[in-house]
Amino acid sequence: MSEFTIERVKTGIPGLDELIEGGFPRGDTILIAGKAGTGKSILAIQFLFKGATLYNESGVLVTLEEPPHLIRRNMLRFGMDLAQLERAGRLAIVDLSPSKEVTPVTVGEYPSFDLSGLEAIILNHVKRLNAKRVVIDTLSIMAYKFRSRDILREEFFKLCASISRAGCTLLLTSEIPAQDTGLGVFDIEAFLASGVIVLYNEKISDTSRSRSIEVLKLRGSKHSSRIHSMRITDEGIRVWPGEITPGH
Amino acid sequence: MPFPRFRSISFLPKKRERAAKVEEAEEPTIIEIFLFKSDACVFCPRAEEVIRETIEDFDASVFKFTVINVTESPEAAEKYGIFALPTVMIGGVSITGIPEPEMLLKMILGAKVTKKKGAAE
Repeated sequence: MSEFTIERVKTGIPGLDELIEGGFPRGDTILIAGKAGTGKSILAIQFLFKGATLYNESGVLVTLEEPPHLIRRNMLRFGMDLAQLERAGRLAIVDLSPSKEVTPVTVGEYPSFDLSGLEAIILNHVKRLNAKRVVIDTLSIMAYKFRSRDILREEFFKLCASISRAGCTLLLTSEIPAQDTGLGVFDIEAFLASGVIVLYNEKISDTSRSRSIEVLKLRGSKHSSRIHSMRITDEGIRVWPGEITPGH
Repeated sequence: MPFPRFRSISFLPKKRERAAKVEEAEEPTIIEIFLFKSDACVFCPRAEEVIRETIEDFDASVFKFTVINVTESPEAAEKYGIFALPTVMIGGVSITGIPEPEMLLKMILGAKVTKKKGAAE
């Protein structure tokens, strides 16, 4: 066996790094998939917060769904002051949410476009902050914004490659529709990423649900193949590596 | 019986006021057209051509055409939440991809109507 080791990016999420050989491979694209309310955004933003506060790595959060003021408010509940990080130049929140006041109303779309605008916006912040971590939350909203799925698929490959070339580790969140068994609305989410993490919040009895996390794939890593217990605590997400979830 | 004498009351604006209103309405409405493009976008040059060809038949003073290169000014794209290119924005509405001239004309007409409505209110 080769002694070559892959550089790891610690997530800072208690318990998660133990499941993935110490962290995500640097420069990789990781998909965080799960149904609504499973904690995808919390996990992704926690990855940025811990990067900036514990590992001296600035981050860029691109929000396509939730407005920034609500993200800041909700993360404060877990003791994560994003505004303070923004002021310190350790975090940039890029607001591309539909609630943005000056966004024009889209009246149509022709199948002759690319996402070079999104790429330019993200790379501008990456360069400005010398960021090493990028989160796009959530990929699924693009499926509702644009009809041309084939173009989007190709463009996402290009976008992920470009962010990776800039030396960043990219986390994409993807919402799995309620009755769906795939990993998102595009059906290619798993191919976009070299790592896939799935979050669950399964009903285990009439009165309770159980949260869990599964590392479905992580190229270049020996990762756990089990489904582990996870909780959303007052300090954010915590994973119990030794605890196998009762729901699975 | 003599015809009763009434004071004449006119509900029409005076001649001078009417003239001022006509002048105001006939003031040319400038339609602003924005094209968001990037250096990497292969569809953008054609989109720019279509816009220029569509508006060249009109009086040049009617339009203000601004091209925003997102590669040079990513902040402008972020401000308007535009990340797919090319995107044409006219009077608060936008279209992505190489536009058809008919669609551009509809958007221009829409912007003109909105401006006139706004001016009348």
